[in-house]
Amino acid sequence: MLRIEGLTRRFGGKIAVDDVSLSINKGAFVGVIGRSGAGKSTILRMINRLQEPSSGKVLFNEMDVTALKGQALCEWRAKCAMIFQQFNLVGRLDVLTNVLMGRLNHVPTHRALLRWWSEEDKAIALSALEQFDIAGLAAQRADSLSGGQQQRVAICRALVQEPEILLADEPTASLDPRNIRIVMDALQRLNKHFGITIVVNLHSLDLARAYCDRLVGMAAGKVVFDDVPEALTDATARDLYGLEAGDVLDSDAAETPEGAVAAAA
Amino acid sequence: MSDGFRAQVLTDLPGLRQRHDHIFAADWRARATVLGVIALLVGLAVLAILRLELSLSRIISGMGELGHMVGMMIPPVPSSSAHAMVYLHALGETVAIAFLGTLCGAVLAFPIALLAARNTTINGAVQFMARRSSDTIRGIDQLIWALIWVNVVGLGPFAGMLAVMTSDIGNLSKLFSEALETADRKPVEGVTATGATRLLAIRFGVLPQVMPVIASQALYFFESNTRSSTIIGIVGAGGIGLHLAEQIRTIEYQAVAFIILLILVAVVAIDFVSGFLRRSMTGRASLTH
Ligand SMILES: Nc1ncnc2c1ncn2[C@@H]1O[C@H](COP(=O)(O)OP(=O)(O)O)[C@@H](O)[C@H]1O
Ligand SMILES: [Mg+2]
Repeated sequence: MLRIEGLTRRFGGKIAVDDVSLSINKGAFVGVIGRSGAGKSTILRMINRLQEPSSGKVLFNEMDVTALKGQALCEWRAKCAMIFQQFNLVGRLDVLTNVLMGRLNHVPTHRALLRWWSEEDKAIALSALEQFDIAGLAAQRADSLSGGQQQRVAICRALVQEPEILLADEPTASLDPRNIRIVMDALQRLNKHFGITIVVNLHSLDLARAYCDRLVGMAAGKVVFDDVPEALTDATARDLYGLEAGDVLDSDAAETPEGAVAAAA
Repeated sequence: MSDGFRAQVLTDLPGLRQRHDHIFAADWRARATVLGVIALLVGLAVLAILRLELSLSRIISGMGELGHMVGMMIPPVPSSSAHAMVYLHALGETVAIAFLGTLCGAVLAFPIALLAARNTTINGAVQFMARRSSDTIRGIDQLIWALIWVNVVGLGPFAGMLAVMTSDIGNLSKLFSEALETADRKPVEGVTATGATRLLAIRFGVLPQVMPVIASQALYFFESNTRSSTIIGIVGAGGIGLHLAEQIRTIEYQAVAFIILLILVAVVAIDFVSGFLRRSMTGRASLTH
């Protein structure tokens, strides 16, 4: 179980995340929603320590994540994979090597430096690519792929980390409707098939309603809603999104993934 | 229609003038600044000419001398084929000095650059030290390094190689560290998020982005060092420069012309090959970005 206690982050005088406390159960599919600038990315980045909290704690099965250093921190990051809006692949490296990055924590440093991967690691990476129908692209440079393909590569990289949690920071925000669907389905598969806990930041309310089993609404760094998607009324959503409400609420909230994708487009 | 618009503007001219008078007012301050800078440059140039005692008459009489020299250079052939072989051999030495010097310089500059770049260094103190040592080495010209190394290891190509290497360490470590700092942060973050150590995040996040640039800079330095190592030869650091200086001193202008032609051919050939390699390296980058 992942527990966040009084987590706060200031940038200069500005509070990006303000005293947030949450518990996330193993196997959950949690959507974090809210307008841009609400603090969604900052929370995710503090969970895997890409960003340091100003105060507060993150605990995983009673281990204090915020106190980790060195190898222990690397191991935590391996256990807590992340995918990004801009995919964050290494464009000049081929797809297979990008996926193998997910194995770095399991490989001795000297072998990693020389890109001397074991048979087993290559097999793991290729099998991940096969799961998402892109094994044929293994030898291509990552920056020659489309956005949807790149995000699938990033998901493969996360999967081969054998993580317990996957953090996804607006993973579909740079994609077209067809690819939004493919990527969200891929996350759903990791959740259902491999039991990986998913915490996903989403701008689109329809997507959040369609895929998540719990929604956390944020505004100005604070949690202002935390319940099952069905409990989120249009009025609450309007409060949550303020001026951006028009963007996310103009459709009849879709109940199916298909409808959600159409609406998110 | 555009006529109509123009006519409308012209009737409104007084109004426009009034509403935006600061735009219509001539900017005398800016003009005065430009004129001032030009006057300053001319003044400094005049001062420098006086200080260096340059005189037009000496340039004009010198032109005649130059024409005479060019006349004596024709035909550009060495006094014997044995001499030609010696020059060719020396040219090979010059290219070898440039190649080895650049290679060793680039290899040694690379770790300094890693320590000097903001995104790959260990900590502030190390970064400061790396930058200052790079600055210090760079503050001394290649020719001075040649004079120093000649005194340390004696006359000959070894001193030349060391001179090229030393000055390249200073210059390339600066260029490499700047290239490292332009690397996009996102891939590094992606690799870090997998649980990779800092070293591996640099290896896989930063290096793939900058290696083509770094290799291309080193190649360019090889090119440029082939030209400059003829100069350091003149102070006794090996290579063809020594012969060139010797032939100028003994007024063997035909041999001088031959040596200059040899150097030109070598430089053009290396420019061509390295230019091709550099284009093919950076070209692939621009193709997919
Ligand atoms: N590295 C940073 N430096 C300064 N301010 C930041 C930084 N990262 C985020 N912020 C600020 O913190 C607030 C929350 O940002 P973020 O977590 O990215 O919001 P969201 O992901 O919900 O759009 C924003 O006001 C943003 O400007
Ligand atoms: Mg964000």
